Amino acid sequence: MYVYRILLFLVLGGYLLSPLMMSGWASPGVAWYKPFLIWGVLIALTLWLEQKRKLDER
Amino acid sequence: MNASLAGMLAIGAGFLLVLFLCALAVERGLIGTRITRHPVVYTLALGVYASAWAIHGSMEMASTSGYAYLAYYLGVAGAFLLAPVLLVPIQRMVRTHQLASLADLFAFRFRSRWVGTLITLVSLLAVLPLLALQVQTMGDAIYLMTGAASPSLLALAFCAVIALFAMLFGARRRHVDGHHDSLLAVIALSSLIKLVAMLSLGAFALFVVFDGPADLQAWIDGPGQAFQTEVEQPDPAHWRTLLLLFFAASLLMPHIFHITFTETHSRHTLLQASWSLPLFLLLIALPVPLILWAGQSLGAQEQLPSAYLAFALSDAPWVQALAFIAGLAATSATMVMIALALAGMVLNHVLLVAHPPEAQLDLYRWLLWLRRALVGAVVLGGWLFYRTVSVHHDLSTLALATFVGMAQCLPGLLALLYWPGANRKGMVAGLAVGLLVWLLGLWGPLLTGLPPLLLVPPGLEGLTGEPAWYVVTLVSLAGNALVFILVSLATPTSEGERAAAEACSVDAVIRPKRLPLEATNGEEFKEHLARALGEEVAHREVNRALDDLGLSPLDGRPYALRRLRDRLQANLSGLMGPSVAQDIVDRHLPYRHDVPGATDDIHFVESRLEAYRSRLTGLARELDGLRRYHRRTLTRLPIGLCAFGEDGELLMWNDALAALSGIDGASVIGARRDSLPAPWGELLGRILAEPQSQLYKQPVTLDGGVRYLSLHKAELAGDDSDPGGLVVLVEDHSEMKWLEDELVHAARLASIGQLAAGVAHEIGNPITGISSLAQNLRYDTEDPEILETAEQIQQLTDRVSRIVSSLVGFAHGGRHLGGQHFAPVSLAEVTDEAIHLIHLARSGDDIAFENRCPGTPQVHGDAQRLLQVMVNLLGNARDASAPGDRVVIEATPEEAGLRLTVTDEGHGLDERVRDHLFEPFTTTKPPGEGTGLGLPLVYSIVAEHHGQIDIDSPPPGQERGTRISLWLPLNPQEGETPR
Repeated sequence: MYVYRILLFLVLGGYLLSPLMMSGWASPGVAWYKPFLIWGVLIALTLWLEQKRKLDER
Repeated sequence: MNASLAGMLAIGAGFLLVLFLCALAVERGLIGTRITRHPVVYTLALGVYASAWAIHGSMEMASTSGYAYLAYYLGVAGAFLLAPVLLVPIQRMVRTHQLASLADLFAFRFRSRWVGTLITLVSLLAVLPLLALQVQTMGDAIYLMTGAASPSLLALAFCAVIALFAMLFGARRRHVDGHHDSLLAVIALSSLIKLVAMLSLGAFALFVVFDGPADLQAWIDGPGQAFQTEVEQPDPAHWRTLLLLFFAASLLMPHIFHITFTETHSRHTLLQASWSLPLFLLLIALPVPLILWAGQSLGAQEQLPSAYLAFALSDAPWVQALAFIAGLAATSATMVMIALALAGMVLNHVLLVAHPPEAQLDLYRWLLWLRRALVGAVVLGGWLFYRTVSVHHDLSTLALATFVGMAQCLPGLLALLYWPGANRKGMVAGLAVGLLVWLLGLWGPLLTGLPPLLLVPPGLEGLTGEPAWYVVTLVSLAGNALVFILVSLATPTSEGERAAAEACSVDAVIRPKRLPLEATNGEEFKEHLARALGEEVAHREVNRALDDLGLSPLDGRPYALRRLRDRLQANLSGLMGPSVAQDIVDRHLPYRHDVPGATDDIHFVESRLEAYRSRLTGLARELDGLRRYHRRTLTRLPIGLCAFGEDGELLMWNDALAALSGIDGASVIGARRDSLPAPWGELLGRILAEPQSQLYKQPVTLDGGVRYLSLHKAELAGDDSDPGGLVVLVEDHSEMKWLEDELVHAARLASIGQLAAGVAHEIGNPITGISSLAQNLRYDTEDPEILETAEQIQQLTDRVSRIVSSLVGFAHGGRHLGGQHFAPVSLAEVTDEAIHLIHLARSGDDIAFENRCPGTPQVHGDAQRLLQVMVNLLGNARDASAPGDRVVIEATPEEAGLRLTVTDEGHGLDERVRDHLFEPFTTTKPPGEGTGLGLPLVYSIVAEHHGQIDIDSPPPGQERGTRISLWLPLNPQEGETPR
């Protein structure tokens, strides 16, 4: 169940904080691939949580 | 642009041909299900979400709003991130109740066919702009690349091919609930093609137009700044609203719903998509800014709309072909899926509701052609909307009109999952308010070209001046949700709706009632349903449901019939939608309400809890653990246990009872007591009818033998809220009964033994006297006749002495002092004498005894004791044999002894008895006919002779019969020392 809580936290936190992050992406000097890098990290985190959930359900 | 129309048409035709070939290969089994049902294929199929908007619209949005274009991808990624708590419950409902669309789900939850119709109409209105957007991008791409004079006609031809494809591979099966492997594979292939095309275009932009990532960064920080300053960064509130819209779209768009829930193979597949779909979307989204910046750096924005900058990356035909194919793949897959999903919704919730099916001869065919016609109509509708409306609008306006419209179903969907108190009136009222705001603010202006009429409630005047889509989204969703909640709280909820709410709710405890049905078996189901569906369809549907459940058509268990009814309703729901299916089943397969005491279906609740165990959390999981422990205790109790509900329905049949009865619990649970197989129905009926709570040692014939069972019962009724019924314990007391009988038998034999010992003692004295007198007589006379008589008297008294000695020996525990009478014994003679004695009993005349023993060699032993052995063995063989059977006695030398075998063709030995044959009082004969001492005595005598005894039943090479095999040591004079 704690995995679900982390997911909810991730989605709600991301929803609330994403405008702050987005305003930073457009600033000069910020690497163009930064948003995709953050997104990639989030996907990796989800994959890891999915593995944890599988173990939790066994 | 310098591309030729013929070239573009050839690429389009080639692409569609590849899709056709892929579908055909899957249909014909050339591509195995291991591939077509792989989670990766499912993830790629979900990539249908990346429609033409993702290819062209995102480019347009990125040019005006920068990274805000990512909202389209991040919204759906967020929804899939929440798959375990959001998507999986919907998937469970959809699969359990065979719901194929959002309208099915709403109609099922709110128990109204009109709710389904309303959702269908909303979906139709909302999705038309998105459908038109697909056609528009196709027409625009053809026009921009070739300058063709009539792109709309070419788009119409493209629509016709798409419709044909959807009819052929999507509306081919009669059931919409089944997996369309070929369709799924084609959609996945389209996604793969557009992904590869987009990545290639992105790589071209990055490494050919720019000189790698560093060059791109330098352009962004240098000349690109001019373009960046033109970008209008979205307000945080706009961004969040966009995220919410795209989040809702991933749950509500008809084509996404269809792939996500109807075509899903398993919960695991859906959970895997929680990370794999975001990964796919990341890869599709990544090339968008690269292509845009490359186009801007080439100055192409002056010549082309930003949505189509991919065509300006290079004049090379293959680059333009890639751009065209990316759009074509996205458009075709989206249109096929939208057409199929909407056709199913319109069929189930508009046509079938307006004209319910009659008992037609070929219902399946009728439904199939209706569906195909609707597929064509939906695609044509999309083209007409494009031709008349969408050409006057940009892609963003069209897409946002669709997403805001579909988002009006979001409050209903969330309430469906998390608020059992929501009711139909509230949902319809809320949806009506939201729709009104949307129609006036977005959809109407789209159609009429008039300025949007924004309904801004008092207190929200600050919204004036904001973009129309933003105002409409906020006002419509807020009004929708508020009215929904208020009306639901203010109005009563029907019982049917409450039950459906429990079935849909995430934390629901489903407690279906155990009511009997009017139909009493599967055959009667067919008769009843034939009135609505026609005979052929009724037969096929009932047989299909029976196969699904693994039931027999003659299974009359009320539990099985209730499951059959539920399955039929679910299957018909897949065919005709939940409203019509429920109506048919309620009308033709009604419950009997004349039976009092209908209680909760405990067994069904348990089976559901077992299935959902992994989803329980916290206290519920702890309680379920406790329930499972108690359940396991009862199931594995080493005493037979069964439980009956108040209505006499069997609710439990534990493992011990299954082993004792030989009846598997699954085959009888849910049956009525009187329909249980013999002798259980009658036996359990007896204890249920008896006023006392025990029945001791009831003789019952099981497996051809008599067993003695004791039964105890107890009432289960507690306070009012607890279900009543009875629990019955069944103990097998056969062993104890046999032991008791044996004890009585042994006591009787012991008293006989004591008597025999007393008699032997009393006989012994006079015999000794007779023997002495006979010996004296030999000294008193020379008369040869008298001497011979005295000799005979002495021999006979010796024999009597030995018999008496045996009796005394048996009475003293069967011990016999062996050795003193041992002499060479011919087994052939002993056998002859035993056969002679057996025949004297006059009961073995019809059995053929064959003595094949050789005269020599001889064994070392007591001829009298060995005669006793042979008499016992041959007597047993005779008793076991049928008239006309043979009993063969053979003796063969083996090591330092002789192997004597007695082989009969009788009924053989029971396995349970065989291991105990040499124990005293074990007999296979009917009571009074066997003492159970014969073989123990044989064993004892053979042991005295240092021999061995074995039993084979049946003997090797024979189907029946028994072989007793003795090994006895040879006479030492024969040259060997006995063992």
